[in-house]
Amino acid sequence: MDDSQGAHRGLVDQELVSIVARFVNIRWLAGLGLLGATWLATAVFTLALPETPLYVIGAAILAYNAAFHFILRRILRTKSPNIVWLHRLTQIQIGLDWLAMTAIIHFSGGVESPALFYFFFHIIISAILLSPRATFSYAAGATLLVGATVLLEYVGWLPHFSPLVDAASDLHLRPIFVSGVMLFFVSAMFVSAYLASNINSRLRRREREVFELSENLQRAYSRLQTLYDSAQAINSTLELEQVLDRIVRRTADTMNVRACSIRLLDETGTRMRVAAVYGLSDAYVRKGDLVIDQNPLVREVLGGKVVAVVDVRTNKRLQYRAQALTEGIYSMLSAPLRGKKGPLGLIRAYSTELNHFTEADASFLAAMASEGSIAIENAMAYRALGQLDEMKSKFVLMVTHELRSPISVIRSLLRTMTGGYAGILSDGQKDLVKRALHRADFLQALIDDLLDLAAGKNELGLKEERAEVRLDEIVRQVVERFEMAARENHIELEYRAPERVPVPVCAGMEGLDRVFNNLVSNAVKYTPGGGRVSITMSLEAGWARVIITDTGIGIPEESLDHLFEEFYRAPNAKAQVKEGTGLGLAITKDLVTRYGGQISVQSAVGQGTTFTVTLPLAAEPPA
Amino acid sequence: MANEKILIIDDDDDLVHALRLPLEAAGYKVSRAASGNEGLQFIKDFKPDLVILDVMMDTTTEGFHVSLTLRSPEPHSEYKEFSKVPILMLTSIHATTTLRFGPDKDYLPVDAFMEKPIEPAELLKKVREHLAKKQA
Repeated sequence: MDDSQGAHRGLVDQELVSIVARFVNIRWLAGLGLLGATWLATAVFTLALPETPLYVIGAAILAYNAAFHFILRRILRTKSPNIVWLHRLTQIQIGLDWLAMTAIIHFSGGVESPALFYFFFHIIISAILLSPRATFSYAAGATLLVGATVLLEYVGWLPHFSPLVDAASDLHLRPIFVSGVMLFFVSAMFVSAYLASNINSRLRRREREVFELSENLQRAYSRLQTLYDSAQAINSTLELEQVLDRIVRRTADTMNVRACSIRLLDETGTRMRVAAVYGLSDAYVRKGDLVIDQNPLVREVLGGKVVAVVDVRTNKRLQYRAQALTEGIYSMLSAPLRGKKGPLGLIRAYSTELNHFTEADASFLAAMASEGSIAIENAMAYRALGQLDEMKSKFVLMVTHELRSPISVIRSLLRTMTGGYAGILSDGQKDLVKRALHRADFLQALIDDLLDLAAGKNELGLKEERAEVRLDEIVRQVVERFEMAARENHIELEYRAPERVPVPVCAGMEGLDRVFNNLVSNAVKYTPGGGRVSITMSLEAGWARVIITDTGIGIPEESLDHLFEEFYRAPNAKAQVKEGTGLGLAITKDLVTRYGGQISVQSAVGQGTTFTVTLPLAAEPPA
Repeated sequence: MANEKILIIDDDDDLVHALRLPLEAAGYKVSRAASGNEGLQFIKDFKPDLVILDVMMDTTTEGFHVSLTLRSPEPHSEYKEFSKVPILMLTSIHATTTLRFGPDKDYLPVDAFMEKPIEPAELLKKVREHLAKKQA
């Protein structure tokens, strides 16, 4: 608020300077005009004017105006013009002008002088430049000066000049004429002083109102803009620390205050910890948590109110009053952060001035708080989700490790048995052991897949070494692996390499092998005898594309959406091949995504399926 | 060929059982140590012709430690006389990592790897192979 008043005063002062400057300019004309008019009246119209004093007055006007001109230029050249000086200068100018005017009136006929009317200009000028009181005192001063001159001429202590009427005229000696002219002169002076200063002060007031309004409008607009910008900036990230940091920074900058902080409720809901801070010292930040039980102010804010601390020195409700004063903070404004499920914490702005915050500040902070609450809640949800995912992955990893070990021992033992190393088995025993082994093998496959999936999703899991590998070689090896199986089932299996090899991609060798092994194995598994499986690789602008097409049983439309989900198997696939973990395609997709690629599927039941894998090419190998 | 001595260093009783049966059936003399340290003690008396070593026992790298100790390049190593004894390493690492294990003179001085679960015929084949190599 103070700032805007200061700015307003600055604006008025600027206007004063420009008016004073304009009068200096006009006064050149007045001085020259007097010289010209005197010459015209005496030389051309041969009026009986005392020309020498009038020329002297004209020269004096020009001389003191020149002085004002230089003083004004010097004042204006300094960075912040001294306003007191400027006012004094204005008063001296008016005073000198009036002395000159009085002298002109005396030499141009006293009470008979037509120059009397010129006083009205000065009244209007002083009404514009000075306060109403000063204007009235100048009117009184002018009345005294003119009255004294007229009186002195009347009593004969001053000589009288009669340029307009004939020399023998004694108008200036007739009391009725003198008092009549003076009465009208004085009343006209005061009426015009009243009217001019009245109109002027109204204009001033209107001007100030307009200025304040436009100032408020400007501020409201800038805050709205900030709110909008902030909403965008805050929501452009889901990392909680970043979100909080942006909110405090923006708020402090926009409100033009020293500092801003965000405190969030801890898990117990009894304390509030600093979560983000801008503009406060470390010592102040480390002072401790806000304890809700001991802090009625915080309770009020958490209840949903925006609360201002007008004077930190006298506010008994503050938990850390001494620390705030040491930090140089004299007023605060706090607004609640509220999520969908209840209070999250509070946002607080700190000022080094007493009673700094206005209604507008309060509503701005409240708006910022509600905008920020949404972003904070989103970021918190995102973080919780990430933690949950990580926990789940770790759990799966641990469990599968524990499952894997006994299964592999069971299989080892059963194989020892089927191998006949524990004595000869009867046919019935052998059949039972084989069935058990078969189930154990499946369980092992399931656990291996699960482990792969968990390891893939777990950042902390054993990371796969990535390198530049030859995609064309890997796919060719996979295809060769299935040649035997394809021939046995009378399936035509073909591989079309791209026009240009090698095809370098940045990936894990084992992972890529797994991807294409899964896809080709599925294609062969679900294609009936006499069918065809073809694998085609092509290159285009930085990408390698591998298309695996079969003439197999196809995938029902309603299954396509679920195909890459964990444990999902299409019903017709289940009917054909009983065992399958339903994890193969989930792993495939996970791997392809990790290598920066994409996988898509098209299929029609009874006609066949096409999987398309695209992977980004690694930088061209040196030729 | 028979009566050669094989030391199994593994903490899993059941797996040791699955290994022991086919090996004994093939006529080898089999002994077992339940930890890396026990194995390193035992080896001096037992003087095996071949060692079957589990990668992970109490600590995940216990097997590595045993193989490095046996193959220590120190001129005065107390295991100098065993530095030529073939080592078969049992792993179940496949599903958790794509680290490619390969025998490495400096870092992982073993002669062969065997993936769990154990296929008896495969086991016997590998054992025979490495014993023959040692003799040669």
